[in-house]
Parts: sequence; structure tokens; C-alpha cells
Amino acid sequence: MYILAIESSCDETSVSIIKDGLEEISTVILSQIDTHKDYGGVVPEIASRMHVENITIVIDEALKKANMEMKDIDAIAVTYGPGLIGSLLVGLMAAKTLAFIYNKPLIPVHHIAGHIYANNLVKRVEFPLIALVVSGGHTELIYMKEDYSFEKLGGTLDDAVGEAYDKVARVIGIPYPGGPMVDKLAHEGSDVYNLPLPLDDDSYNFSFSGLKSAVINLAHNEKQRGNEINSANMACSFQNRVVKILVKKTMKALNDYDVKNLIVAGGVAANKGLREALTKECEKNGVNLIIPKMKYCTDNAAMIGAAGYYAYKRGDIAGLDLNAKAVLPLK
Amino acid sequence: MKYLFIDSATTNLVVAIIKDGKIAYMYNNNDGHDTSSKMMPVLAEAFERVGLKPQDIDKIFVVNGPGSFTGIRVGLTVAKTMAYALNIPIVPVSALEVMASGGAGSALINARRGYVFAGSYDDNLNVLYPDSYVLMNDKLNKPYISYDSFDFETVKPNIDILKVIKKHVEDQPINPHFLKPNYLKMTEAEENLKNHDREN
Repeated sequence: MYILAIESSCDETSVSIIKDGLEEISTVILSQIDTHKDYGGVVPEIASRMHVENITIVIDEALKKANMEMKDIDAIAVTYGPGLIGSLLVGLMAAKTLAFIYNKPLIPVHHIAGHIYANNLVKRVEFPLIALVVSGGHTELIYMKEDYSFEKLGGTLDDAVGEAYDKVARVIGIPYPGGPMVDKLAHEGSDVYNLPLPLDDDSYNFSFSGLKSAVINLAHNEKQRGNEINSANMACSFQNRVVKILVKKTMKALNDYDVKNLIVAGGVAANKGLREALTKECEKNGVNLIIPKMKYCTDNAAMIGAAGYYAYKRGDIAGLDLNAKAVLPLK
Repeated sequence: MKYLFIDSATTNLVVAIIKDGKIAYMYNNNDGHDTSSKMMPVLAEAFERVGLKPQDIDKIFVVNGPGSFTGIRVGLTVAKTMAYALNIPIVPVSALEVMASGGAGSALINARRGYVFAGSYDDNLNVLYPDSYVLMNDKLNKPYISYDSFDFETVKPNIDILKVIKKHVEDQPINPHFLKPNYLKMTEAEENLKNHDREN
């Protein structure tokens, strides 16, 4: 079964063709990151405007790259949430139009389900599993008993982890998107700043706004005293707290649910500090750790096509009145 | 010839199928902000009613602005995707021109803070005041045609799709990949960045 998948929930316009939820036939990703850099973050209206200009070009390139035509496609999968509503709508309307013209099933896919199923394109995922989804927009712990069954254990109560990274980056003078640079600097610095371990409780929830504020206040106070903060040391101190709490709650979930498979997904899965810490802990506890290739960590339509196959098998078919949802629980 | 007409830039969603110079089906309703879920079922019904398939359409006329930014994108994405997939010509038309197609005057869309998207047209849809994002002003001749409420007198548009299509039937079609919305207004972020650059 060939699925044409469309993803446009944030600032990437992407289209993929995926065979049987496992094999990537072609993927095209058009990133807007260079435009949004000028504004210090993703501007929703600009993102929407760029999606509508690029959408048919990206569809066309994905088909050409696969050497396929629309008549070879069996179903259309699309991210319908969560995400930026204006951005989501462009991909959704294009998907609905293709489903209508060619009379193909329309498969609605949750963005986070996509991030988890990205792993399927490398190696068929094994169940039960715990998924840690960490990105600029999400921080969630999810338990999956079997294919396409999702139980959200916890998530962030405020900022997503990637968002906190970008904000801390700005405080220590790194332009947007600063997350990857903070990770790099953290490896050059020492943990000398006294920062709190955020929401260190028995829940599976996260909170990063307090930690972010602590960084901002500390930097501000040092400046008042005429001291420069050391960027590398601050990056290291911040990252150590973030990684510590992510690892602690993830390991707790693996233990509580007696699960031996851990999937890490989303853009922050690329974080070296997080990878190292999780690798160490998983080895110690006999947990099978799966982290997708870098190209599948950030937003892409390949993961939507992979998830879409299992959504379809579960019977998720949408009508032409399918709407986009900025907020959407994973079920 | 069979044409498809789509306009979702204003509060009224308009979908029409034109067959041999006559309107075979037209949907023209105030759907408020529900265009994204309404659009495809309305299209599907239109084709079903006239007994045609999307593959039977020879040309698409689509409103590409000005108006609601999201509304413009909903209709334009559908029209672009169809024109691309079916490899048929696509012609953009103005939302204000469509509003003024029932009779001469100035078509207005409320753009808030005293601003309007406005354009004046005569009875033959010749442009008297080009589509603009402007403060309401005296150069815009009466009557004022609008779906929106203002603190002055307006008349509701009484659109004539056939007149609009006749006016644009010879227009050079645009490659759907390069067909863009005509917002007539930068985003706030772009305006702020521009002002910031100018000050520095």
C-alpha cells in the first residue's frame, strides 16, 4: 500500500510517499527556518503564507522523486494536529483535495504519532514501549501497548523542552534556533550555576518555565553586579538539569510499566547530552533504546506516512469535512 | 466548456460550476469561519448535483484575495492543488471585483482600525480605484458594497459570477505552482522588522 503523506504543522512543508508503513519511497522537505531566523522564532502568519506558496511544488517533487503518479497512490495521510492552525490548514486542504479528486481514503494523523512512528522507517518498532517525545513544541511521555494505541502518561505543563532551549540560548547570546548550540556549548562548560531541578516529583509531568526563569534571573543579577555570565557554564548547568529530569521520569515510566523498549522522538532527540545520558541508563537497566536517524527527528512527512499506515489499519478514515486542530489529544 | 469557480476570501463561501456559459450549480452562503470544513463537502455536492467529475473541468477561476488571510489560503490551496493535479489552467480573480460584479461601486472588506480592503469598479468591471489596503477615504465612490458592517450605509453584494468569468475568460492562465495569494498587506512581523530596519 502506497501512502502519500503531507505534513505542514509548523515551518516545514513536507510530502512523502511511504510503502506499507515501513519503506520510504521519497521525501521532500522544504524548511522555512532561514526566513523565521530573522524574527527570532516561527511567525505563524509567515509560515502559513510560505506553505501555500510551496505546497503543490513539494507534492510534485515527491511524486517525481518516486517516479510515481497520483494514480499509483492508494491513500492520502495528513497531519491534522496539533500545530499552528494556519499552517496545518494548507496541508490539510491539499490532502483533502487529492483525496476528493482521486477518490482515495483520507487518513488523519496526529503529529506526535508521526514522531513515534518515524522509528518504523529504520526498524519495525516492538511493543510494548515507552516513547519520550521531545521537540520545540512537545515534551511527552507515552505508553504504547500495541500498534497505534497511545496512553499519555504525562507532558509539559508549560514550555516544551525545545522552546526552553531556544529561550535560554537567547539569554546567553545565541540567535534562534539556539538549541543545538546550547547542547554543543554544554559539553565545553562546567556545571557551576545553582539552578533548580524542575518539577522533581512522582508525576510524569514536566515544567521548564521555572528553570528558564531561573536562568534569566541569574543572568540578570550577574549583569547588575557587572559580571558576565559564562555561556558555556550556563549551557552546561541548564542542560544538566533538563537531561537529569527527562531521564529520571523516563526511567520511572519504564520501570512502572515494566517495558523494555524506549523510543526517543522529536527534534530534541538529536541532543547529544540527552542521548548520552539515556544510552548509559538504558544499558544499565537492560532497556532497548531506539533513537531515529537525525533526518527523521525533525518534522517530516515520512513519519506521517509511516503512522498513517497503522492509523488506516485501525480504521481511521476521515470525511472531507476533516478540520485542523491546534490542540489535539493523542488517542 | 466547464468551469469551476471558488471564492472563500470573504465571509461568504462561493462555489460554482459553469457549463456552456450557464451556471449549472452555485453555492453562496455566509458560513462565517467554517470554510475549512465546509469547502470540500460543498465541492463534492456541486459535482454530484451537476453529474460531473473534477476531471471534466476545463478551467478554474479562483479568488486569491484580498480578504481573510486564512480564507484566501483555504480556497487557493484547493484550487491550486486541483489545477496542478488535473493539469488544467487556473485564473486568479479579485474578491473585491466579485463583490462589485452585481453593479458599479466600491467593494469594501473591513480590515480594522479604520482600514479597508477596497476597490471601485464600473458596471463592466473596469477598475476605477485599484484594489488597495487603505484608510477609508472620499476617492472611493458610492455605493459601498460589503458583507461587513460599517458605521455608514452599505449594500450587500449581489454577485454575478458569469460577468466575472466573461471578463477574465481570455486572461493568461498562471502556472499553479506560482499562483500566490494577493493579501495586499504584509504580516505584522514583516512590518515591524521593516520599521526596525528603517530606524537603525
